[in-house]
Amino acid sequence: MIPGPFHYHRPTSVAEAVALLAAHGDDARPLAGGHSLIPMMKLRMAVPDHLVDLAAIPDLKGICEDGDRIVIGATTTQREVIGSDLLAARLPILAETARQIADPQIRTKGTFGGNVANGDPGNDMPALMQCLDAVYRLAGPDGSRTVPARDYYQGAYFTALEPGELLTAVEIPVPPAGHGYAYEKLKRKVGDYATAAAAVVLTLDGGTVATASIALTNVASTPLHAAAASALVIGTGLDAATLKAAADAAKAITDPATDGRGTAEYRREMAGVMVARALAKAMRRAKGA
Amino acid sequence: MPVDSPVVPVALTVNGKPERLEVDPRTTLLDALRDRLHLSGTKKGCGLGQCGACTVLVDGRRVVSCLTLAVMNDGASVTTIEGLGTPDALHPMQAAFVACDAFQCGYCTPGQILSAVALIDEGHAGSDEEIREHMSGNLCRCGAYANIVEAIRTVAGQEG
Amino acid sequence: MNAPALSAVIGQPVSRVDGPAKVTGTARYAAEFVPDGLAYASVVSATIPRGRIRALDTSAAEGMPGVLAVVSHRNAPKLPYLERDQRPPVDPKSGDQLRMFQDDKVLFNGQPVAVVIADSQQEADAAARCIGIAYDETEPTTTFDPGRGRPPSEETAKGGRPGAAGRGDGAAGLAEAATTVDVTYVQAREHHNAIEPHATIAQWDGDSLTLYDKSQWVQNVVVEIAHVFGIEAGKIRVISPFVGGAFGSALRTWPHVTIAAIAAKMTGRPVRVELSRRQLYHSVGFRPHTLQRVRLGAAPDGRLTAILQDAAAQVATYEEYAETTLQPAETTYSCPNVATAYRLVEMDTNSPCPMRGPGIVTGLYALEAAMDELAVALNVDPVALRLKNHADINEKTGLPWSSKALKACYETAAERFGWADRIAAPRSMRIGTDLVGYGMATAIYHADRAPAEAEVILFANGTAVVRTAASDMGPGTYTSITQIAADELGLPVEAIRFELGDSTLPMAPVHGGSITLVSVGSAVAEACAAVRQKLEALTGEGSIAERLRANGLDRLAASAKASPGEETKRYASSAFGAVFVEVRVDEGLGTLRVKRMTGAYDVGRVINPKIARSQCIGGMMGGLGMALMEAAEWDPRFGKVMNANLAEYLVPVCADTPALDVTFVPSEDTVLNPLGAKGLAEIAICGVAPAIANAVFHATGRRQRHIPIRPEDLIGT
Repeated sequence: MIPGPFHYHRPTSVAEAVALLAAHGDDARPLAGGHSLIPMMKLRMAVPDHLVDLAAIPDLKGICEDGDRIVIGATTTQREVIGSDLLAARLPILAETARQIADPQIRTKGTFGGNVANGDPGNDMPALMQCLDAVYRLAGPDGSRTVPARDYYQGAYFTALEPGELLTAVEIPVPPAGHGYAYEKLKRKVGDYATAAAAVVLTLDGGTVATASIALTNVASTPLHAAAASALVIGTGLDAATLKAAADAAKAITDPATDGRGTAEYRREMAGVMVARALAKAMRRAKGA
Repeated sequence: MPVDSPVVPVALTVNGKPERLEVDPRTTLLDALRDRLHLSGTKKGCGLGQCGACTVLVDGRRVVSCLTLAVMNDGASVTTIEGLGTPDALHPMQAAFVACDAFQCGYCTPGQILSAVALIDEGHAGSDEEIREHMSGNLCRCGAYANIVEAIRTVAGQEG
Repeated sequence: MNAPALSAVIGQPVSRVDGPAKVTGTARYAAEFVPDGLAYASVVSATIPRGRIRALDTSAAEGMPGVLAVVSHRNAPKLPYLERDQRPPVDPKSGDQLRMFQDDKVLFNGQPVAVVIADSQQEADAAARCIGIAYDETEPTTTFDPGRGRPPSEETAKGGRPGAAGRGDGAAGLAEAATTVDVTYVQAREHHNAIEPHATIAQWDGDSLTLYDKSQWVQNVVVEIAHVFGIEAGKIRVISPFVGGAFGSALRTWPHVTIAAIAAKMTGRPVRVELSRRQLYHSVGFRPHTLQRVRLGAAPDGRLTAILQDAAAQVATYEEYAETTLQPAETTYSCPNVATAYRLVEMDTNSPCPMRGPGIVTGLYALEAAMDELAVALNVDPVALRLKNHADINEKTGLPWSSKALKACYETAAERFGWADRIAAPRSMRIGTDLVGYGMATAIYHADRAPAEAEVILFANGTAVVRTAASDMGPGTYTSITQIAADELGLPVEAIRFELGDSTLPMAPVHGGSITLVSVGSAVAEACAAVRQKLEALTGEGSIAERLRANGLDRLAASAKASPGEETKRYASSAFGAVFVEVRVDEGLGTLRVKRMTGAYDVGRVINPKIARSQCIGGMMGGLGMALMEAAEWDPRFGKVMNANLAEYLVPVCADTPALDVTFVPSEDTVLNPLGAKGLAEIAICGVAPAIANAVFHATGRRQRHIPIRPEDLIGT
């Protein structure tokens, strides 16, 4: 079990990394924590000729506030996301989600950027980024551009990232203080991908929902922003009938595969349960805040 | 037809000792430790980051050494089980694992112990439930988990 | 010398004597020896379920850096593979073993078809990827279809796995019953998945061969390899001081050991073969997929009138591995009419093999789940039903038990668990939104003993060495045998070194079937007695050291052999237990959590309660995995396990650990052996899966007649 042969590069700037990626096109892959890419290389599901290690590029690391947005550098690790005081204060759902990714060892090296960039439908951050309406900063040979998370995912492992491009950071609009949130993930065991998971962020006006955003993990070939379900809960007090209607609306857009985590039918059903439970928890938190 | 991988130099500090290696870039940190430096206390269980037997500390943090290339860790400081304590001078966590019988076959044990040391450092020894959650990246097929939790609780209590 | 204080050390919770080596990484496992000039092998596995190799292109691989040799059926030495009466006793009694690189046939997907040897593991693995193989496929048989089941062969039947067995008249017993159940259960194919992968290092020195191997029986490796290569057993030495878990997968000597020896022979270098996690799923056996039908009949008072149990288990085409699956039907309860039927379903797969509690744990799963169904049908308490049908003797053989404290197990476990709080009706207990279920089951595993030899050497510095070719895959043999020697010699544990895991040491039986402690322990006790006798014949007084020095001796040695005797014809021996479980079910998600487990065990005298408890909690976790997680996902299109890794083949993790309560009821079995012990590796996994399945019914009111039970089975209950 050994990867195919490759040339190892360790650029020290984004420009240098992008130049390498652009020069080798489809034959090159960026390497961050490596915890998705290296197993795929060992199993020969990925056979890049060139690996561009991003570890020595300081610009890609770190979490900072930029006006009403928080910007997370691509090579920020999940461990750093969990440990960030800034995120704990402004976007606690990030740590709640990161804590449910894999296990502590994987979270030491596994990066935020890797989790959102590679298009694995099992990853947890992409749905959360859709829920938060985050924007991805991409650097390429012809300059930089941004792509909303809700437009980035095109299919399993297919994304808006062009050959030669690198995801450098994620901008997240900060929800108002006192917002309710929850990332509810059903998994078979600690470390597993989601059987189904739901991210919810909402705000209240009095006792009713003023804004809401719902997104789903691992119940289709891409993360899903559940726009209809989100719209449906606005103006309500999240009574039982609304929770059921939201769950049904979310289920309607899912297309899960039957796999070791369960039948498609079961996983679709669980997506609904995760939505209802995440909404209820977010409501409790918003009220308690 | 594959091309020859060029050999690359790697400098590591392993258990406080500087090591310089020339490796095929495909060499994982685990294989460098086991097959090149013959530090076989770091175990290979799956090669895919799914069992935790290869857990070591890199710059003080726990990682699975089978999913990180040696070359990615150039300049890093690595602590393996051999760097924690010796049979005559056990680290408190090693002593607690013996006292609590927190293993049977012993194969997953070095990874469990390094993970446990890191867990306390991370501040995750607050309750048995928290310990269990944060030790779930280390499989123990002999099923010694209850005793592993007890060992960690004991050491956390001493340090707390 | 003074007589040793009785049980000064036996019965004490001594910490593992090999603990410091294991926690510091200095304990050396098979793959970790580094003979000079070590080369590395990478095994190439077939990718079709049945057929022939049409073409094998090794030219690219042979030209790659570091490659020393590529070996396949085209260039491997022809090996004699002697006749079956020279085969090791742990091998199946019928069929032919897999022969390495002797022809172009492929008998299952994953069969080794070539091996690359190189200067480094990376070079070997890289070259192995570059071997091109073309196959002529033939129509495979890859479905588990019990309808194709056939009875075991005569040889297998003689080995205690008959096609039909029982007593009385099963059909008549069923006809006379006031209440009957007729239920079918399925158990998935399970893999041992010890965390240490199987590995062998082979080193030839002229015509002598040294093997560093992961083995539960080093002397069996000698027999096997002598038979394969047609060489004298005396030319082979097998070393295996530490075994990183095995659970039965290292009982046999699998083909990769032969591959290592071939590779070393052909390269003139010591060679390491280490199987990948994926390869383990088709290289070292598994617990076979088994379907069972159980029919029980009972009189109005709950007395069993009939036990009929049928099993169909998957088996390889080339070799006939069969299990004692239906033995519990004959021994667990008192019943005049018992009928069992055992069938084997041939498939193009690698051969199954024993996995912790082999056969018994499978049969007991179905029997104990059916007993729970009977208790519900009779509207009696499950514990009361079992007490009503308590087997005062072994009704299969008609022999009395050499010891039996099962009633105390039920009583103790029920009391500690709080069984009296159980509301009998299913779906009647809740905590918050979770359904709560209590379930229980009986555990039984036959207690055996085999001949063993040991040598004890006393030294003038006051220390002693105890030697025998036993193994310690985790149960604590190093420690418990040291304790026995300490008591027998009157020395502290620290003064004794126990050497095992070397085939040149005195004869020891297989490290499996829970027999090591009673077999090897008895031999060590006798060897200690023999050396003590020698010591007492010496002049002088004082400590061992003083006596030796007074006689000008630097050492004094004695050996002994201990064997089971006539008692095995007059008594039946078994370990017993009772397992009680609480589960919580979240109906919205179908998720199930085992909250706590209480086991009470009759395992005879407990040599080391600390280590014995570890064995039991380990068995409980194994049973939890069996009940709720473990299953090979078999794809009949490819004849292949699709989840051959530790992410998709689920095993329990730390977060799954319930509160575990273990008690040993007072018991001593001095008939089975002078130590009074019965062995406890297997008993600890017995009964766990049915206790969980029964608790699931109690929680939800719905029967799940298959294991593992999955979340999607429980949703919407």
